[in-house]
Amino acid sequence: MQKVITVSLNGNAYQLDEDAYAQLSAYLEHAARALAANPDHAEIATDLEQAIAEKCARYLNAHKNVVKAAELQQVLHEMGPVEADAAAGGAAAGEIGAASSPAGAGPSTPGAAPNPDGSTGKSGGSTAPGDATSAGDAAGPGGAAAAGGADSSSRSERRLYQISEGAVLSGVCTGIAAYFAIDVTLVRAIFIALFFVTGGIALLGYVTLMFIVPYASTSEEHAAARGMPFNARVLVEGAKQKYAQFRQGQEWRGTGTQWRNEWRRMRAEWSSERRRLRDAWRAHWRYGYRPGGVSAPGTAAPGTAGRYAAHVITSTVIAILGLVFALLSVLWLFVLLSLLTTGAVLGFPLPLGVPLWVTILILVLLYQIVAWPIKSMRRAACYSMGTYHPGWVEASDGIFGLAIAAGLLWYGYHHVPELRDFLDHLTHWWHDATGAGVGARRDLFFGRTRPHDVSLGPLAK
Amino acid sequence: MALDSKFSPIRKGLLEFLVLKIVSGTTVYVPDILKRLADTEFATQEGTLYPLLSKLRREGLVDYQWQESESGPPRKYYRLTPTGRTHLTELDDYWALINKTVSRLGN
Repeated sequence: MQKVITVSLNGNAYQLDEDAYAQLSAYLEHAARALAANPDHAEIATDLEQAIAEKCARYLNAHKNVVKAAELQQVLHEMGPVEADAAAGGAAAGEIGAASSPAGAGPSTPGAAPNPDGSTGKSGGSTAPGDATSAGDAAGPGGAAAAGGADSSSRSERRLYQISEGAVLSGVCTGIAAYFAIDVTLVRAIFIALFFVTGGIALLGYVTLMFIVPYASTSEEHAAARGMPFNARVLVEGAKQKYAQFRQGQEWRGTGTQWRNEWRRMRAEWSSERRRLRDAWRAHWRYGYRPGGVSAPGTAAPGTAGRYAAHVITSTVIAILGLVFALLSVLWLFVLLSLLTTGAVLGFPLPLGVPLWVTILILVLLYQIVAWPIKSMRRAACYSMGTYHPGWVEASDGIFGLAIAAGLLWYGYHHVPELRDFLDHLTHWWHDATGAGVGARRDLFFGRTRPHDVSLGPLAK
Repeated sequence: MALDSKFSPIRKGLLEFLVLKIVSGTTVYVPDILKRLADTEFATQEGTLYPLLSKLRREGLVDYQWQESESGPPRKYYRLTPTGRTHLTELDDYWALINKTVSRLGN
């Protein structure tokens, strides 16, 4: 009696006996490795699965619904070894067992080649992947060396992108953080430190990166930004490989019961873990707050009185933080206004040789630096309340920023003649540019400038 | 067979040319291509053909469209792109040139 394993081949269920399953997973795993460097690997794998499915269907009918090992072996034999691209050389071939069989050699006619291994069914574990997959072809002079190359190239590619989610300015820091898999706060801190150490050159670097590094927009790009495998298939392949190793490593494979017990134990462990996490999360969302901000899942829920007190405290903290934030914004606005009107920061004259626009830039940056932790603290507090409405918080920030920008513009338009000239000039220029269809890049620039920076206009002119 | 192995790299290299030739006639489905090649010296298998087709598609020489099939899931039917057609003409000419050279050198 053989156990039957159900697999999905390109969306349709097929039942294989255990040995057939081992062969198929070895074949597909090998194919995935051979195609690792191929940009279309997912698509080719689907095509191959479909082709295998069609060939398997040949052996199935109303009275036979399981594909046997010998039949699957024939199918895989007809499929032939999956070859990497010509560029990748014979990397696919060398690895698993060039010596094991002559069957895969070159374009031999399917079916005509001798069946190299008739003992599959009995010997069980000895279904060497080689008999189905080895190329054993002249193409494999690369041998071990090429195989090494294939290994290194099978690591998914990692590229630098800007990531707008969670970005403060443009997304350069978030992108860098994702690229090196480190905390974004650390990257920001380094950038700020660099800014002061290099006297502004880091800012230039930042702006350069802002313009040359592309944004990650597709999910594929997001994955590449983090250097993670693009799709679930890679994970599935990994799991299959682990499974195969696990199977091969077990001496008692034949008995089955021990393995089944182990499996049952693992599954119970997983599901209890999952339940625990889920309950913790439910409690977290339903009852909201845990003392000490974001709580670890799985801690015991605090008593009602404690929860209430904590709720009050958090609300107060949120209110205070909001007030501090508002005060900070007003202070910043005030500083900016005093700078614009009197040319001095709250009565302190500017150091000699520092142009006004640099001062404003520094002010903007300082504001961001100081405001950011307050904003994130407020956000974290909202989180722990369980009343987090990202849309609302973001919108209030955005509206506040817009209000500042609008106020600044209004003030400038009425009190700074240069700004009025500049804005009039800008509208003319805008008409020219859009009319002639040129200056798209500059449109983009102005489109992306932060609202505060609008006041830079007359001074930068 | 000694002959077989001697020409193995050449057959390998020619496969792309032949696949383009087969695809140039009508739109074809992968089993059609395999069947056309099966009785020749260039008999090949899915494991080779799918990666090759994907390469040709990336190079813009062939193209496919999905067609419903009465038995099973939709199938990919391949056809030649205009770029592929010009490329195939070049290959044809070059092949004729090689043939001429080979036969001329004999005598």
